[in-house]
Amino acid sequence: MTSIFFRLKNKILVGLLLGGAVTMPVHAVKDVLETPAVMSDMASESLLLDVTKAGSRIVSVGARGHILLSDDKGQTWRQASVPVSVLLTAVHFPDDKHGWAVGHGGVILHSSDGGETWTKQFDGNLANKSIIDQARDLVVNLEQELESAPEDMLDDLEYELEDAQFSLEDAEIDSEIGASKPFLDVHFIDRNTGFAVGAYGFIFKTEDGGNTWENFGDRMENQDRFHLNSIVQLEDNVVLVAGEAGTMFRSPDGGDSWETVDSPYDGSFFGLTGTGEAGVVLAFGLRGNLFRSEDYGETWERVDSGTQSTLMGAGHNGSGKVSVVGNSGAVLHSSDGGRTFVEKVRENRLGNVALVFTGARQMVIVGESGVNVTTPTGENL
Amino acid sequence: MSDANGQANKNSHEGVGSGSIAERLIFTNRPVILGLFLILTAFFAYNAANIKPDASFERLIPLEHPFIVNMMENREDLENLGNSIRIAVAVKEGDIFNKAYMETLSEITDEVFYLGGVDRSGLKTLWTPNVRWVEVTEDGFQGGPVIPDGYDGSQESLETLRQNVLKSGQVGRLVADNFKSTIVYAPLFEINPETGEPLDYKQFSLELEAKIRDKYEAKNPNVQIHIIGFAKKVGDLIEGIGAIATFALVTLGLTFTFLFIYSRCFKGTLVPVLTSVVAVIWQLGILKLLGYGLDPYSVLVPFLVFAIGISHGVQIVNQIAVQQAHGFNPLMSARLSFRALVRPGILALVSDAIGFLTLLLIEVDVIKDLAVAAGIGVAVIIVTNLILHPVIMSYTGLSKSGQKHAKKVDMSEQKSFRVLSFMAHQSVAPISILIAILGCVIGLYYQKDLKIGDLDKGAPELRPDSRYNLDNDYIISNYSTSADILVVMIKTPPEKCATYELLDVMDRMQWRLENTAGVESTASLVSVSKLVTKALNEGSFKWYELSRSEAIINSSIQRAPSGLVNSDCSMTPMIVYLEDHEAETLERVVNTMQDLIAQYPSENYEFLLGAGNAGVEAATNEVISKAKDKMLLSVYAVVSFLCLITFRSIAAVICIITPLALTSVLCEALMAQLGIGIKVATLPVIALGVGIGVDYGIYIYSQLETKLKEGLPLQEAYFQTLITTGKAVSFTGITLGIGVCTWIFSPIKFQADMGILLFFMFLWNMIGSLWLLPALARFLVRPKKTA
Repeated sequence: MTSIFFRLKNKILVGLLLGGAVTMPVHAVKDVLETPAVMSDMASESLLLDVTKAGSRIVSVGARGHILLSDDKGQTWRQASVPVSVLLTAVHFPDDKHGWAVGHGGVILHSSDGGETWTKQFDGNLANKSIIDQARDLVVNLEQELESAPEDMLDDLEYELEDAQFSLEDAEIDSEIGASKPFLDVHFIDRNTGFAVGAYGFIFKTEDGGNTWENFGDRMENQDRFHLNSIVQLEDNVVLVAGEAGTMFRSPDGGDSWETVDSPYDGSFFGLTGTGEAGVVLAFGLRGNLFRSEDYGETWERVDSGTQSTLMGAGHNGSGKVSVVGNSGAVLHSSDGGRTFVEKVRENRLGNVALVFTGARQMVIVGESGVNVTTPTGENL
Repeated sequence: MSDANGQANKNSHEGVGSGSIAERLIFTNRPVILGLFLILTAFFAYNAANIKPDASFERLIPLEHPFIVNMMENREDLENLGNSIRIAVAVKEGDIFNKAYMETLSEITDEVFYLGGVDRSGLKTLWTPNVRWVEVTEDGFQGGPVIPDGYDGSQESLETLRQNVLKSGQVGRLVADNFKSTIVYAPLFEINPETGEPLDYKQFSLELEAKIRDKYEAKNPNVQIHIIGFAKKVGDLIEGIGAIATFALVTLGLTFTFLFIYSRCFKGTLVPVLTSVVAVIWQLGILKLLGYGLDPYSVLVPFLVFAIGISHGVQIVNQIAVQQAHGFNPLMSARLSFRALVRPGILALVSDAIGFLTLLLIEVDVIKDLAVAAGIGVAVIIVTNLILHPVIMSYTGLSKSGQKHAKKVDMSEQKSFRVLSFMAHQSVAPISILIAILGCVIGLYYQKDLKIGDLDKGAPELRPDSRYNLDNDYIISNYSTSADILVVMIKTPPEKCATYELLDVMDRMQWRLENTAGVESTASLVSVSKLVTKALNEGSFKWYELSRSEAIINSSIQRAPSGLVNSDCSMTPMIVYLEDHEAETLERVVNTMQDLIAQYPSENYEFLLGAGNAGVEAATNEVISKAKDKMLLSVYAVVSFLCLITFRSIAAVICIITPLALTSVLCEALMAQLGIGIKVATLPVIALGVGIGVDYGIYIYSQLETKLKEGLPLQEAYFQTLITTGKAVSFTGITLGIGVCTWIFSPIKFQADMGILLFFMFLWNMIGSLWLLPALARFLVRPKKTA
C-alpha cells in the first residue's frame, strides 16, 4: 500500500513539474519575419497596398502580413494564412494558382494554391547574405586579377577594388542592421521567372519559381541606389522598371540586361502600367506627374493629369479604359487609353494605392482605408 | 408614557420622579447649558464660515490602487498629455472659409493668447505660425503657415487657405471634417510660471465664458462656440456647487412649511429648525477645525445632518405636545420627553454613525471624508437635538393652538392608523409577505442590469444635457478625437524609449488593442514613427512601417509631440482611445492589455497601467466593485448586531432588517433601470440609506415590544405603536425625503443621482418598516400573555 501510494505521489510530483515546465515557457518575442499574421476582422478596413487577380479571384496585400481573398468581385473578403506579419507592398499572380507577394523585411512569399496559403521563400537576411557573398567574390576576384594584372591596368583595377571593398563594407553594415530594406514591387513573367524590386536599388531575379533568388543590382546603372518602385512587363519580353528621382530602366530581353532610359522627369515615379495597346505604357508619380509612351518607353509625352496629388497605382480593362489612383483621394479615369484623364477626389480624401478592374463597370481600389468597391470613375467613394 | 397618574402633583418631581443624573444635571443648569451652547455655536460658526471648497482631483480617486500609484509616479512626464482646453469656433451658415469667420478666429486666437494660465508656445489655431502645411516636391519638403502670405480675406487668399488646410493634415484635428468649425487648442500650465500660482479653475472657466463665448458670439452672430477640457469641466463643477446654497434655502423653506402644517405651532416649528441649523454649524465648524474642506460629495452631508436633526426634533416636539396636552408644564414636559427619547435617540444616532463609518472601508478619500463628515454630524445631533432642543422647549413650550392641533390630528389620525394596524392581522400579514417576496424577486430580476461605474457619455460628473456635455458631443462628432483615454506608461532605461525591440512590441500590442471591442484607435511613438517614415519617403504608403534601423527610427521621431517622449527618453506612453467609459469596456480593454503585457515580457522595458481618465475610472471601478459587497456586509452586520444587543432577540433582528434588505434590493433595481451605476457617489448612499433606515425599525420595534409586554394583542399593540411612534416615523421619512429631494435638481450629475437614491431609500425604508415589519412580527413574535 505504502509503495503504491508513494509511486502515486511521485507521479503527481512529476506531473506537476512537467506541467509547470510546459505552461511556463520563457518566450522571447519572435521576429516579425517569423510571426504569422494575426487574423483580424479589421484587415479589410486597414492599410492595403496592392490588389491583383488570380484567375477570377481577387487578392490584396497590405499591413501586418494581411493577405485578403475575394471570390465575389470584392464584396466579401477572407484572410489567408501568412507566415509573416510585415507590411506587404505588392502581389502578382502569373497564373491563377501561382502567386508571389513581397514586402518589408525583404520578404518574398509564395502561394501555389491561388492565395489560400503562403510560404516564405526569401527575406532580407538572405538578401543581405547574398549581397555580401557577391561583393566578397568580387573583391576576391579583383584581388586575384590585380596580382597578375599588367602594369597599365593596375590603377584602374585598384580603383575598382577600392570600390568593391566599399560596397562590401556597406553590405556588411546593412547586414548588421538586419532585414531592413523592403521590396516594393514584384512581377513574374511565368511561374518560374520573376523579379522583385525595392528600396535602395534592390532587384532580385529567380528562374526556378522563387527557390533561389539572384541579386541583379549590379546590372543596372544605379550608383545612387535609388529606390525601384515599380516593375511592369510589356509585350515581347520588354520589362520596365521605374523609381525614385526619375530613375527608369528597361530590359529588352526578359530582364537579363538593363539599359537606362532617358527619363522625362526627375521626380519620383511610383507606378507603371500598360493600357492593353501594344507598346503603350504610362508612368506616374509625385504631384500628379503622368507620362505616356507609345514606343515601349523609348520616348515619353506628358499627360495633363489635372491633379497635384501623388499618383500611386493604376490598372486597365484591356479595351481603352485606364484608371490611376493616388494620395488625398485622387481617382483619375481615362476612356481613351490614357491620352486624357478626368479627376475625381474622394470626399474623405483617404489615400488610394492600387486598383484592379473586376468588370466593365466595376473596379476595386485598395489603400489607406482598406478595400473599396467602385466604378472605374470612382463613383460612390 | 402612562397617563393614568392623577392630575394633582403633575408638575412636581414627586409625581413623576426626577429621572437620571444626566437629566437632573441638564435641567437644573439650563442657563449654563444655554450659555455654553451660545459660545460654542459662535465659535463653530466662525470656523464654518471659513471652510474652503475643495475639489481636489486626488481625493476622488483610489490612491492605493496600482494604476493610480503608477500614474502618480509618472505624473510629471504625463503632464504634457493632459491639461488643455479646446475651443471649437463653429460657423452657423456656410463654411469656415469666409472673411468674417477668419477675422473672428483671429481675434479669439489673440484673446486666448493673453488668458492667464495658457501655455502660449503650445497654442494652436489656423492663425498660429506652428500650424503649417507641408508638401513633398521633387526638391524635398516645401511648406509654410496655413494662413497664406499677404492674406487679405479676398476670394483668392481664402482659396489658397483652403488648399493649405487640405495639405496641412489638420482636417479632423484642428479643422472639422465638415469644414464648419475649427479648434483653438490651448495647453495650460498647472502652475503659472510667471506668478507661481496654481491655476484657478473657477476664474479661468469664468473668463472663458465672458471673454470668449459671450463676447464673440455677440460680436459675430454667425459664430457659435464650444469649449471642452479638464479646466472647463472643473470650472463648471465648482460653479455647480454654488447651486447648493439655493438648495439649502429651498430645503429650509420646505421643512419649515411642512413642520408648521404638522404642528400648527410657530414655536414647535422654529425650535427644531434652529437646533438643526446649530447642528449643521457645529458639524461644519468641527470639519474645518479638523482640517477638512467641502468637496462636491461632502457638501451634501449638512443636508443629511439637518434632516436627521429635524426628524429627532419632531419626535421631541411630538412628545412635548402629548405631555403638555396631559397638563404638564413646559419644563416638566421637556424633562419627560428627554427621559423618554434619550435612550432610543442615542441608539438610533449611534447606529447611524456606525453605519456611516463602514464607508471607511472604501479606499477613496472623498468617501472616507464623507464618512467622517457624516459621523461628526450625527454625533453633533446627539448634543444639539437631544439636549439643546428640550432645554429650549422647556422655556418656550408649545402654543395652545399647537396643543389643540395635536389633539385634533390625534383623533383624525386614529382612523387611518386603525386601518394601517391591519398590517399585523393574521390574514393580511401573509399577503404582505408574499408581496414582499414578489417585490424582492422582481427587484433581483431588474437588478441584474446594475453596472459598475459611470454610464453616461461625456463628462459623467455633469448632466448629459449640460452645456459642457453638449459641447463635448459636438467636438467628438466633428473631430477625430475621443474623450475616453487609457494611457499605458512604458518605462525604460534612459535613452531606450524608442528601440526597435520596444516599438515593435508596442506596434503588435496596439493592433491587438485596436481589434478589441470598445477601442476606437491607439497612438504612440510607433504611430508617429510610421507616419513620419512614410512622409520622409515622399508620402508613399509603401513605407508606412516601423524600420529596423535605429537611425531611421530616431529621425522619424525627432519631432514627436512632447507628450510622447519624456526628457531623457525613459518613458513613453501608449494612448488608447475608447468608445465609451462603461465598466465592461474598461474591464475588457484592461484585461486585454494585461494579457498583452504578460505575453511580451522583457528586461528592457516595463508596461504600466494606467493613466488617463479611463485608467482612473478602471481603477476606481475595481476598488468600488471590491468594496461594494464588503461594505454592504459590514453595514448589515453592524446594524444587525446593534439590534441584537438592544432587543436580545433574533426575531427582532429579522423584523427590522428584512424591510431594509428589501429596500436595498429595490434600490439597486431602480439604479439599474435609471442607468445609474455603482460609483464613488452612489456607493455611500447604500450605507447611508441602511444606516438611517434602521432608525425607523428600531423605534417601531421598541414601542411594539413595550406594548406587547403590557399584554396587548399584536394588532392592538401595533395600533398603539402607530399612534405614537408610527406618526413620528412617517414624519421622519418625509422630512428626510424633503432634505435630499432638492439635490435631484443639482447640475452635478452625481449629486442628482445621490438625491434620487436617498429620496427613494428614506421613503421606502419608512414604508417598509410600517408595512412589512408588523407582518413579519405576526409570524415571528408571539404576544407574551395572550398567546
